Amino acid sequence: MTKQLLMATVAASVVLAAAPAVAETDWDSLLGDHSGKSINMMVVNDPYIEAIRKMESKFEGLTGAEVTTDGFGYDPLHEKEILGCSQQDDQYDVLFIDGIWVGEFVEADCLEPVEDLWGDTDPSIIAWDDFVGSIAGQAQWDGKTYCLPVGAYWQVMHYRKDLFDKAGLKVPETFEETMEAAKFFTDNPDYPGMSGYAMNNRRGAAAGQQYFEWIYSAGGKPWESNYPGSEEPYADQTPLLNSEKSVELVKFFHDMVAYGPPGGEQYQWDDRFNAFAQGKVAMINAWSVRTPGLSDPDKSNIVGKWASAQMPHAKGEKTVPPVGGWIMCLNKHSKNKEAAWDFMRWFASPEIHKEWALIGGVPSRHSAFQDAEVQQKLPWTKELYTAAKTAWTEGRPRHPLTFEMIDAIGLQVNRAIIGEASPQEAMDTAQEKVTEMLKSEGILQ
Amino acid sequence: MSASEITIARPASRRLARSKDRMERLMFLVPAGVYLVALTIFPFVYSVYLSLHQAKLTKLHRMRFIGFDNYAELFTDSLFLDACRNIAVLTVASITVEILIGFFAAKVFFSLRETRIGAVLRSASIMPMMITPICIGLIFSYIFNPNLGIANFLLGEIGISPLGWFSDPSLALATVILINSWQWTPFMMLLMLAGLMSIPAEQYEAAEIEGAKWYHIAAWIEIPAIRGIVLVGIILRVIDNLRLFDIVYVTTRGGPGSSTEIVTFFAYKQDFQYFQVGYGSAAAVVILFASVIITAITVKYLRSAEDD
Repeated sequence: MTKQLLMATVAASVVLAAAPAVAETDWDSLLGDHSGKSINMMVVNDPYIEAIRKMESKFEGLTGAEVTTDGFGYDPLHEKEILGCSQQDDQYDVLFIDGIWVGEFVEADCLEPVEDLWGDTDPSIIAWDDFVGSIAGQAQWDGKTYCLPVGAYWQVMHYRKDLFDKAGLKVPETFEETMEAAKFFTDNPDYPGMSGYAMNNRRGAAAGQQYFEWIYSAGGKPWESNYPGSEEPYADQTPLLNSEKSVELVKFFHDMVAYGPPGGEQYQWDDRFNAFAQGKVAMINAWSVRTPGLSDPDKSNIVGKWASAQMPHAKGEKTVPPVGGWIMCLNKHSKNKEAAWDFMRWFASPEIHKEWALIGGVPSRHSAFQDAEVQQKLPWTKELYTAAKTAWTEGRPRHPLTFEMIDAIGLQVNRAIIGEASPQEAMDTAQEKVTEMLKSEGILQ
Repeated sequence: MSASEITIARPASRRLARSKDRMERLMFLVPAGVYLVALTIFPFVYSVYLSLHQAKLTKLHRMRFIGFDNYAELFTDSLFLDACRNIAVLTVASITVEILIGFFAAKVFFSLRETRIGAVLRSASIMPMMITPICIGLIFSYIFNPNLGIANFLLGEIGISPLGWFSDPSLALATVILINSWQWTPFMMLLMLAGLMSIPAEQYEAAEIEGAKWYHIAAWIEIPAIRGIVLVGIILRVIDNLRLFDIVYVTTRGGPGSSTEIVTFFAYKQDFQYFQVGYGSAAAVVILFASVIITAITVKYLRSAEDD
């Protein structure tokens, strides 16, 4: 027993020693005195917002600045940020924006590029290479770094380990296996009230984003030059929305409705997560920001009964996990840039980032993922890290038309899901609409 | 001073007084005028101006004049046409339901008008009108939630399979109509109740003496008496329905498919989600003109009905 204990201690020490060291920074001398100033931030109302608020007082203690974090829903945040920017509003100094909005925000001249600010900052504080590549790329546009990628999400598949073990089922890896497993649990008297798989089927952004979450794993690509590893993903944006792979994928979404929860055609992010957390469905894929909730007895009925795996892929293809999340940007119209930049570089630094991740933030840096304390407290991050390293930065379009394009695709995908149009008809329409859109903006000739 | 000088001076001073008086009156009108110009006329004119341009809020400096192209595109946009069809169905269906149920409710409250319970129930019945539409939308989102909602629970208790209130494209618009009617039936009921209360008691007595049945009374006394007030109610509700937004925004977001897409939500998305302010303004201008035309037709009909 003593020998086992000794071995365990040695093993733990090795793990701790192997984890990248996060040096303590002398923030007092590095950050300015911002007494009497206030820093206002706009953040999406996702579960990590409370963890951001918990960090406010620490920065206030260091600099004297008062930090306020205001939360908004996804659509209202986009609306408020762009409208504010169009009026050169300086009410908010720090803007959290979805990584896919970056092109739109640059076009609207909303952002002060952080690249122009970090010249005199110790490279170990910015530690750019420590950000996971798939999210770091989302903070850049046209070769310039505009924001700090602190709020990364990736997707993995969550499944009911207890039920899969009981049924002796293998965790699905392909679309076919996923459908088989979903079918097994749906309307099965041994699993009353259970459905197979909850998907993001709701019209608009939900269904549109789902399309982009799965298309690469289906072996397809949304437009000609966008595929994992593409050197120039925006070189040829000719849409391929009605390609064979694309239509097959939408048919898969349609077929999966039969193995989803009642009303699943209207499900979006929260709905699929809640259905899984309540023990109503056997599988979901979800953004990692919500994953801690599955282990929280106040939010979840399935604590200790679930596990994660990579999202499924089409036969003969490989999984390309979706990447999303939030990048922290400096409002170009802020009158408080110095204090705001101090906050941003402090908050994004490896040391503070790890601290934030441990209290409910989302790990976005290699150092946080590899940290023994993080791994122990958030064991599911191991599977997530695999997804993070293999995700494709350009999974969703990031140009100024992104919001409109995803919404237009989401409408057609949803029409196919509910049977209002066949997958081929729906995606033909999506192809036509998106082509028109790109032509009217001069992106396509 | 000669007499002629006096006769000339008098009209001059009167003219001065009149002009001062006119100036004073004009000065009183200035605040209201500025308010009207700044908040109504200018935004409307600017909307019309924007609607003639290809304009995106994030790059207004690259705005381009395109004449009536936005309008032409609008009337070939299948989503906008679906939105027009849906709002027409929703308006007609909601108002019909509100009139029918409102009439019966008004009759009930009319018969209870002398009782205390009648007064209490009448006050309670207008509560839906006092709740903000966003809250109504949220409340019904829970009631009709496919898994947790009480609606499907109650259906299950009587052996009926759960319904996809918001997820079934053939049911979603009906659900929105149900919610909308639930909120605004009390409004119609109140109007009709006021109409019923204005009927002289002698008319009822005479009808009773003549041996009229309830449907005779309804057809020959009550409906003619309340027709005018109901038409006013219809005008107000048509305008309200054309402006309807909140319930759809909260419950369905226009889906599933385009089954609950309505014109205001369409314009909102163009303006505030895609920031295509030219196209969105064209949609808003069309909605405004449609409202004006429908209202004018209804008012004309109301006047001719009153003349009859």
